[in-house]
Amino acid sequence: MIRFTNISKVYKPNMTALHGVSFHVKPGEFVSIVGSSGSGKTTLAKLLFAEEKPTSGKIVVGDWDITSIHRSEIPTLRRQIGVVFQDFKLLSRKTVYENVAFALEVAGAANVRIKEVVPQVLKIVGLGDKHERYPHQLSGGEQQRVSIARALVHRPKIIVADEPTGNLDTVTSREIIELLKKINEFGTTVVLVTHDRDIVNALKKRVLTINGGKIVSDVEHGKYVLG
Amino acid sequence: MRTLIRVIKFTGQSLWRNAWLSLITLTIFVLTLMTVNAVLLVNVVTSSAIRAVQNEVQVAVYFVPGTSQETEKSVRGYLLGLSQVKTVEVITADQALQNFKDKNAGDPTVLAALDEVGGNPFGDAVVVSANNPQDFDFILQAIKTPEYAPSIKQTDYTDYQTVISKLTTFTDKLRIAGLILAGFFALISILIIFNAIRIAIYVHRDEIGIMKLVGAQDWFIRAPFLLEAVLLSLLATGVMAGVVLVSTKALDVPLMQYFGQVNVSLWAYFTSNALIIFGGEFLALALLSSLTTVFAMRKHLRV
Ligand SMILES: Nc1ncnc2c1ncn2[C@@H]1O[C@H](COP(=O)(O)OP(=O)(O)O)[C@@H](O)[C@H]1O
Ligand SMILES: [Mg+2]
Repeated sequence: MIRFTNISKVYKPNMTALHGVSFHVKPGEFVSIVGSSGSGKTTLAKLLFAEEKPTSGKIVVGDWDITSIHRSEIPTLRRQIGVVFQDFKLLSRKTVYENVAFALEVAGAANVRIKEVVPQVLKIVGLGDKHERYPHQLSGGEQQRVSIARALVHRPKIIVADEPTGNLDTVTSREIIELLKKINEFGTTVVLVTHDRDIVNALKKRVLTINGGKIVSDVEHGKYVLG
Repeated sequence: MRTLIRVIKFTGQSLWRNAWLSLITLTIFVLTLMTVNAVLLVNVVTSSAIRAVQNEVQVAVYFVPGTSQETEKSVRGYLLGLSQVKTVEVITADQALQNFKDKNAGDPTVLAALDEVGGNPFGDAVVVSANNPQDFDFILQAIKTPEYAPSIKQTDYTDYQTVISKLTTFTDKLRIAGLILAGFFALISILIIFNAIRIAIYVHRDEIGIMKLVGAQDWFIRAPFLLEAVLLSLLATGVMAGVVLVSTKALDVPLMQYFGQVNVSLWAYFTSNALIIFGGEFLALALLSSLTTVFAMRKHLRV
């Protein structure tokens, strides 16, 4: 599903964020990418949905080589990869329903499809009764659920979540991770970037640890190894 | 079709939800057009002023009394043959006498003196008007040929000469100053419009970022901003056209009184050229703001 081959990323002028990173994620896997702050996790995530381009190496998503993807093809890629961030990135002037519908509207989806899909995904994330709320009327956990719902509308094969629990308390974080696990059980590949030890240890899924821009361990049913 | 409706919907939302910003942008657009139209207006008024003076300025050529009709006719023909000459009007000695009498009807001493002289002391005269005030010098020189000079008693022009040259240099300077000013304003306007649009896009940067993340095409992200720029240009041109037409209508009466017989109607000028003036302004503004929009959005569309 995702294959990184010898990926390096150097930010201008000479900040090497990733160095010779190779790994492979199988369809339907749930992979946690862990590492301390500044180790290159976000950079890795950005390479996946083409917000950054690698300096060298090769990235394949599905059977699509996106290493030097043309900017006109990026929208197509992003409709196949749902993204979730620490800061939710919701539009404060749109309701829950509108925020989720927005992702379909801008992609040119038909109105009937929007009316069908949006309530579906809101139900999946457990916000079936909060369509008309605005983001500021929701808790942090609920806001993150909205952004996950939005990431799901294109029925993506992959969900990339960069520190989705970074702004949430422990209980709420656990609920969000449960939701991601549920989505994974439906068959979606999940790439979870985090530095939360408890979450990783409780998950008992594959863990890729990166440090200083290099992969230092890759274990099934892993634990958070770095201090 | 569906996307068109969505573009319109997003544009409407953006205009409405950032009403103050739309209003500021609109105001800047209107002010820009205002400077352009003010320069136009000044240009119309000054060229009317020049025309007014030109029409009033004429040179009178007085013949020595008793000059033969032959010679007078040949002088007239000669003058009319000059490309610089617009009209040549004949004033016969009788008319001159009558004019003089009318003018001094209330002054018995002058009339008495006239009787004293006996007969008609005036000769025939021609009144020449030129196409261009600068040409009077040439016309005056032209008439001083050895052939005609003996028949000409006097040319009456000197009073006007300095006035005209002063006026022409003044209006020329005014026109150049107006052009420089217009260019200067245009430059400032471009900068202000550019910044207004940049601010508008900055306000929407989160939305643009999210649109990119959820897989919107670049043109789809751009379209509402472009439509907004065009709509605001249209609205600004409409407001400006209203202001110009109302104010020129009000200005016309005092202006006509001031310029006398010259027909200066700013209103007529702006209405008869409405399509070119306002249409051109709309197109220029829409093009400028659209280009600015595309340029200002480049940074936000990059990732
Ligand atoms: N746009 C950028 N320009 C320059 N350096 C960057 C940029 N983004 C990240 N970095 C640097 O790359 C390194 C890895 O950053 P990042 O991938 O954000 O790490 P993490 O998400 O693990 O905290 C850091 O040292 C960071 O300062
Ligand atoms: Mg990070």
